Amino acid sequence: MLSMQNVAKIYRTDTVETHALRAFSMEVAEGEFVAVTGPSGSGKTTFLNIAGLLETFESGVYKLDGSDVSSLSDAKRSNVRNEKIGFIFQSFNLIPDLNVFDNVDVPLRYRGFKSAERKRRIESVLETVGLASRTKHLPSQLSGGQQQRVAIARALAGEPRFLLADEPTGNLDTQMAASVMALLTEINQRGTTIIMVTHDPSLAEQATRNIYIRDGQVSEDSSAETLSAPEAAA
Amino acid sequence: MEIGPIWRALTRNKTGAILIALQIAVTLAIIVNAVAIIQERSRLMARPSGVDEPNIFYLSSIGFGDDFNERVTIQEDLDAIRNTPGVVNAIQSNSVPLRGGGWSMGLQTEPGSESESSGVAVYFIDEHGLDTYGLELVAGENFTAADVNWREPQAVEWPDKVLLTQAMAETLYPDGFMEALGNTVYINGNEPMTVTGIIKQMQAPWNGWNGVERVMLVPQHTLFGSTRYIVRTEPGQRDRLMPEIEDMLAERSRDRIIRGMTTMEETRERSYQGDSGMVGILIFVVSLLTAITALGIVGLASFSVSRRTRQIGTRRALGATKPAILRYFMTENFLISIIGVLVGAALAIGLNMWMVQAFSLTPLGWYLVPVAMVLLLIVGQIAVLGPARRAASVPPAVATRTV
Repeated sequence: MLSMQNVAKIYRTDTVETHALRAFSMEVAEGEFVAVTGPSGSGKTTFLNIAGLLETFESGVYKLDGSDVSSLSDAKRSNVRNEKIGFIFQSFNLIPDLNVFDNVDVPLRYRGFKSAERKRRIESVLETVGLASRTKHLPSQLSGGQQQRVAIARALAGEPRFLLADEPTGNLDTQMAASVMALLTEINQRGTTIIMVTHDPSLAEQATRNIYIRDGQVSEDSSAETLSAPEAAA
Repeated sequence: MEIGPIWRALTRNKTGAILIALQIAVTLAIIVNAVAIIQERSRLMARPSGVDEPNIFYLSSIGFGDDFNERVTIQEDLDAIRNTPGVVNAIQSNSVPLRGGGWSMGLQTEPGSESESSGVAVYFIDEHGLDTYGLELVAGENFTAADVNWREPQAVEWPDKVLLTQAMAETLYPDGFMEALGNTVYINGNEPMTVTGIIKQMQAPWNGWNGVERVMLVPQHTLFGSTRYIVRTEPGQRDRLMPEIEDMLAERSRDRIIRGMTTMEETRERSYQGDSGMVGILIFVVSLLTAITALGIVGLASFSVSRRTRQIGTRRALGATKPAILRYFMTENFLISIIGVLVGAALAIGLNMWMVQAFSLTPLGWYLVPVAMVLLLIVGQIAVLGPARRAASVPPAVATRTV
């Protein structure tokens, strides 16, 4: 489903070159729940950005769903993001001036769905995340956990092939974090591939596969049972 | 289109939008009424004087010596001027259109002090008058040399023939100006004058007078000590002939002063100096207001883009293309501008109604408000283009940045 071969990403300033990813290779199969861990600055977010077509890269090959997406135009990358990828952000990234319904509606409008179809999907995903009764609420009127659920609903509304989650529980307390993780697990069990970047080893343990990134490369690629605690905590 | 969500978002965050909409509204109200005033002033300035302005100049001759014979001097001066190569014709007259100073009298169709008279500007001319001014005779006939007599300063009698402009004839005979021809009109209440001809158009010396087209021409030379010669030249000869004729007249008699050499074009310019100054100021105000409004829109949109950088990145991450982001900000501005121009249209009409009552201005042309609305919408869209393009260039990766 997702295949990266020797992907390299360099951030350049006038004086410094930072190699965020070096010959980065990785394969993710359909239906997997992959947790990506690693120390700060290891390249986790860069990997997530490239996987989500949020950033371009210098070299290597990236295939998504069997198609090479390395050199797509900006507009095509937008379309791929909209149709195939769902994003869940650490800070939820809800639009504060839009209510729950309109927030979930954002990617669907870019997809060009008719109003009735959008409404059906929005109601369905809000039901899934348990917020069907909060459609008129503004983000500021919801708890952190509820806001992240709205963000998950927004990510799911377009029925993407896979979800990219960037520290999805980073801004939540333990109870809410557990609830969001349970929801992600449930979504994965329904067949959606999930790649989740996290610092939390206990969350990583709930994934079906763990990848540890260090210095812009995959340092370890193992199941949750075999990931060593010190590395995950680092 | 995202009109619904954009509108709902605007209503939840409306202070900036309301301020810009108000600015647009006030701008539109002022612009529309300023343009209406500009139009009215321009229309006044564009009215033809009826004379051959590009080729006419005039000058004054003021006699002072004991031996100065005004009547002979005038006759000889006019002969000399008319015989100068390049001169089409010349007359002695008391004034010219738009000069600001001249004679006015009252004419009536019935004798007696009880009858109502209509004000009329008076020009003294001779049989060369129509040709010198370049006037068009639409009915009747010109004066002959035999019609012309000499008017002393204290004279109260008037000649028995008069030419009227069409506008004056219509004022006296509302059923049709041709009725005036051959009829007797009365000056000074009881003194009869026969209308022997009607000229198409000629303006009075006062451009602000509401009867500016009401003019009468009488066949008289004046002996008032100071005389004014009106000279019409062949096209392109005016500027050459002005100093030549001035020198020639000065040479012909040392007992007088030649002064006040002025072209009709200068007279027009001076006459409408206040109006053109007003037009210039209003154009400046309109331009300034439009620019300030455009800058206001740029400022609000720029602030909005900076404040929503993360949000824009999120939209991009969720699948918005660059054109979609551009469209978002253009639409948002369009909605704000629509409110502004709608409120502005009402303000503009209200302001105009008040100005019509208070200052007797002409009511707005029906097209002014819609044209101004469209123009301000276009200005708004152009103004927001820069900030919107900056918004569209926000990279989607901003969505995952933690700061």
